[in-house]
Amino acid sequence: MKNFNLRDFGAGIWERSNRYQRVAIVLVTITLAALLPFAGASFLATPVAAYDAVLVYPVAIFVLMSLGLNIVVGKSGMLDLGYVAFFAIGAYTNGLLSMHTGLNTWEIMPIGIGAAMFAGVLLGIPTLRLRGDYLAIVTLGFGEIIRIVALNVSWTNGPNGISGIQMPPPILGKEFALDDQKLFFWVVLVMILLTIWMIRRLTVRRPGRAWEAIRQDEDAAELMGVPTLKYKIWSFTLGAAIGGAAGVLYAAKNLFISPEMFTLNVSILILACVVFGGIGNIWGVILGGAILGYLPDRIRFISDARLLVFGLVLVVVMNFRPDGLLPRKKREKALVKKGASA
Amino acid sequence: MSKVLLKLENLTMKFGGVTALNEVNLEVREGEILALIGPNGAGKTTVFNVITGVYQATSGSVTFDGHNLAGRKRFQITGLGVARTFQNIRLFGDMTTLENVITATDVHKKSGLVGALFGTPRARREEKENRAKAHEILQFIGIDEYADRLAKNLPYGVQRRLEIARAMGTSPKLLLLDEPAAGFNPQEKVELGATIKKVRDAGYTVLLIEHDMSLIMGISDRVAVLDFGTKIADDSPAVVQNDPRVIEAYLGVPADAS
Ligand SMILES: Nc1ncnc2c1ncn2[C@@H]1O[C@H](COP(=O)(O)OP(=O)(O)O)[C@@H](O)[C@H]1O
Ligand SMILES: [Mg+2]
Repeated sequence: MKNFNLRDFGAGIWERSNRYQRVAIVLVTITLAALLPFAGASFLATPVAAYDAVLVYPVAIFVLMSLGLNIVVGKSGMLDLGYVAFFAIGAYTNGLLSMHTGLNTWEIMPIGIGAAMFAGVLLGIPTLRLRGDYLAIVTLGFGEIIRIVALNVSWTNGPNGISGIQMPPPILGKEFALDDQKLFFWVVLVMILLTIWMIRRLTVRRPGRAWEAIRQDEDAAELMGVPTLKYKIWSFTLGAAIGGAAGVLYAAKNLFISPEMFTLNVSILILACVVFGGIGNIWGVILGGAILGYLPDRIRFISDARLLVFGLVLVVVMNFRPDGLLPRKKREKALVKKGASA
Repeated sequence: MSKVLLKLENLTMKFGGVTALNEVNLEVREGEILALIGPNGAGKTTVFNVITGVYQATSGSVTFDGHNLAGRKRFQITGLGVARTFQNIRLFGDMTTLENVITATDVHKKSGLVGALFGTPRARREEKENRAKAHEILQFIGIDEYADRLAKNLPYGVQRRLEIARAMGTSPKLLLLDEPAAGFNPQEKVELGATIKKVRDAGYTVLLIEHDMSLIMGISDRVAVLDFGTKIADDSPAVVQNDPRVIEAYLGVPADAS
């Protein structure tokens, strides 16, 4: 059991599969994920909050945000403690635009993503020259600034927040409803799948190599011709885009937003999902987001002391599995040629 | 005489009170192996750091292939055709041997994030080219059998060679090798010497920092000697070897006193 490693087990199955088997694995996995909202009558049921609503938020949205933050923290090694800022920008873009314009959620989505990316670039250009602790502090400050601005200016309604955000318009004739959030879950699921697709595309090609090189040795990377600042800004901006998208969805799901939803706690929580699940590994991160999103709603007493229990669980798990549940640790190709093992 | 590829003019580098380089002049000609030697702390690595843009020179200039390198970003200097290895190995340990080299081959590629995302024909073609080129270099250096191993798990000698292969991945005109034979036994040094010669014969120009006199005498066309940041000799290996100033710098006693 000591040698069993779920990550390597999964990777092994994937590597041994041929093309058709892989397609089958993907389709089955997606189908199972899509069927999750129907499993509410099983052991998965949540005692207090509606199960299908829990699946949308926190579970799916946490997964989405974890994937986004993982690009920044896991793939490129930059500690961002202000990720909530982009979530807030997405949410407020939706809130403000649906208050002042007739745009619907899907029309607002690209604007929300764009606004978050713009903020990412704006923050990234001056600060991504900083490293490690300094970057962490600046991003932490940025997260707080966004919240404090939302709290104190009049056009966001300050502490009262924005209510009456529009529900998304129907998709394929199916209406969104408060008491049945399956459709909403599927929408977020599609966003998650798109994000996974994007990350996988990028990581096997040049951007992924650049991020990996930056994470491991930024100076050596630059000297090997990697335009490090450019790829750091890209990483930060893509993370921001996903955070922004999550924010737009969150506002559309909650129909009400206020500054106290966007505190430092959110940044820390998402970071916890990333680290807990397996920093740098998208499957680990998905697992981390899903577990840490879901458990507090499943086990009643946890929700009362959420942060305390989170902290304890993290301390314990990190002791036994310092690289998370599904670590990034890359396996060498199984077939090492004879003689190379000298 | 072949053309001057790299020219250092009156190069001075000060770190606070320490003068690491003092008015150094040096020319590297196309196609040669120039050895840069000197006692520890003489300023050899600092020369590499100034050339590659890690440090901005306090005064003086660096000209490479007609370009003044002052104020250029490090990755741009690499793009112009200067690549280096590190005295203390700095590979990307969690990447495979092949990926280490491919990361370097990216420098001359045009496709970036958008191409990668949408799998444009150019991005696909460049990925293929990268891969082929990286394997070619690994074969050339003689470590292709390790292509899929993680760099951090490689034997020491292979890591040193991968440093050279990765630098070659950037398609440099000038290769800066910082003590590539450090920690090698005599036999391995001979092999590495042969590899460096092979690299030069393949059309690269080599500026080599090395301590081992027999290795240097065997392969270099010219030897420049640094002592306390000042160049004290620059000539053919045979002449430098018998230069009393060089002997003094190395042995710490005036040549005539022995
Ligand atoms: N970043 C730095 N800050 C301060 N001093 C430095 C720095 N880099 C090098 N030096 C000093 O410059 C001198 C030359 O160092 P170096 O070029 O590494 O020598 P070598 O490679 O010839 O052994 C040494 O005295 C060293 O302490
Ligand atoms: Mg040195």
